[in-house]
Amino acid sequence: MATIQVSEAEKVYIMHGVRDDLRVDGRGCEDYRHMEIETDVVSNTDGSAKVRLGLTDILVGIKAEIGRPRPMAPDEGYLEFFVDCSANATPEFEGRGGEELGMELSNSLYKVFNNRHSVDLRSLSICPGEHCWVLYVDVLLLQCDGNLFDAMSISIKAALFNTRIPRVHISEDEEGGKEIELSDDPYDCMRLNVENVPCIVTLSKIGHRHVVDATLQEKACSVASLLISVTHRGTVTCVRKLGGGSLDPDSIFEMTETGKRVGKILHGPLMELLQKEESLGKERMKVGFLA
Amino acid sequence: MPITEVSSSRQGSRGNGDVRPLFARCGLVSQAKGSAYLEAGNTKVICSVYGPRETERKDETDMKSGRLVCDFRLAPFSCPKRGAWIQSAEERDLSTGLAESMQPGVCLHRYPRAQIDVNVVVLENDGSVLAHAVTCASMALADAGIEMYDTVLGCALRQDGDRCLVDPDLAEEQGSVRESYGENQGRVAVALLPNLNQISGLQADGEMRADTLTAAVRMCVEGCHKLYPVVQQAILRAVKRKAPPPPEK
Repeated sequence: MATIQVSEAEKVYIMHGVRDDLRVDGRGCEDYRHMEIETDVVSNTDGSAKVRLGLTDILVGIKAEIGRPRPMAPDEGYLEFFVDCSANATPEFEGRGGEELGMELSNSLYKVFNNRHSVDLRSLSICPGEHCWVLYVDVLLLQCDGNLFDAMSISIKAALFNTRIPRVHISEDEEGGKEIELSDDPYDCMRLNVENVPCIVTLSKIGHRHVVDATLQEKACSVASLLISVTHRGTVTCVRKLGGGSLDPDSIFEMTETGKRVGKILHGPLMELLQKEESLGKERMKVGFLA
Repeated sequence: MPITEVSSSRQGSRGNGDVRPLFARCGLVSQAKGSAYLEAGNTKVICSVYGPRETERKDETDMKSGRLVCDFRLAPFSCPKRGAWIQSAEERDLSTGLAESMQPGVCLHRYPRAQIDVNVVVLENDGSVLAHAVTCASMALADAGIEMYDTVLGCALRQDGDRCLVDPDLAEEQGSVRESYGENQGRVAVALLPNLNQISGLQADGEMRADTLTAAVRMCVEGCHKLYPVVQQAILRAVKRKAPPPPEK
């Protein structure tokens, strides 16, 4: 991951600040940085969103395509995740450099969505056993400034909210052959219920405390972080320890509590914001990329 | 269909909180610096450790500490469905999980500019592979004489509603995930440094309440402690064979 060099004196300064619940940029331990969300940014996608968290910039595009359902679940569609770490973000990602991080991020996303309630996969079914909608969720890192996981999950939630899947009708001819017809009306769409889509909260252990939404400097002071994905009801869908250090059991329990609390608070304003943005319709101001 | 209601209906006479009996041996691969073989029920794992040796990727070398390179493979015939020889996304994910769990246990600062390779092959996958791979890898590292802070022990758990099944086999691990829409369905894997009481690895997926998750982690920690005597004995046995105690006069 994009890392930076931090001197020992700087580390001590940051750690002492965290101890007193005051971070270098003036935040408390459980505060996020300023966040900007914009949906419907790429016209060729079925749903897209761009999230800026501090200087981390993430673009998510969702494409719906018709595919075959998995034999294990014939009456369900599925989601595919791909994370691209482009060399735009940091020169470290050049060539195959970003591949490992991209793999780690996308594997974590599969785990986050590996449960029955996040997305109603049955609503993606077209014709059980034969056709279903496959949602390709492509994540592009435009700028890295720490806390990729949280920014990524928020933009995925926003993009899923924005996703409109065209309605299809199945017609059957005399010989029993089925044909899929796409609706003529481009506004005849199906939307996903994103209420249960979880958000990731990454907590980094610094000294004896833990902080939410660590910057790159803070990340350099922390030996281990805990990734927790939380739904609006406070259920946990994925936990993962990240980094080369270890954590004692009590701090893991504490961090889970914090993660749950912070995650629950995050969902309300996010949904409100998404609904408000949508209600603006065509009048909404477009910001665009890297602005 | 939920797995079963009564605890005794787990295969054999195993209770929900019991781990499978463990068979562990060190030093079975002659060419490796250190190796270990582990069997828990039908889950069979081999791990060999090579190095410390000079790093291949010099550009990324951290001068002050060594690199622990973990490679996790599921043999193509190890799962019910045949896998490919090429490392799949799942195996790469397991490799990172293994590396993250092992790193805190190894004194990497003692091996500057060096690389230690940990290769894990699963011969038969009957559930809880990552957890057993962690235990096996730490035995192999110990057998190779790599300096460590502590052994690393792994334990997995399957939460099925209110029941939690420690060290699940493959049927328990995957069973009923697809059918059940109930609450608290999930899988947890924990790696523990038993003497330091530190958790070096934690992975969970599914959907659980926070209190259930906390209880599940506690159960896993308990499960790890149950494995400890067996692992300790296996390592001790290997050490005694390599350096036999002086004959008593």
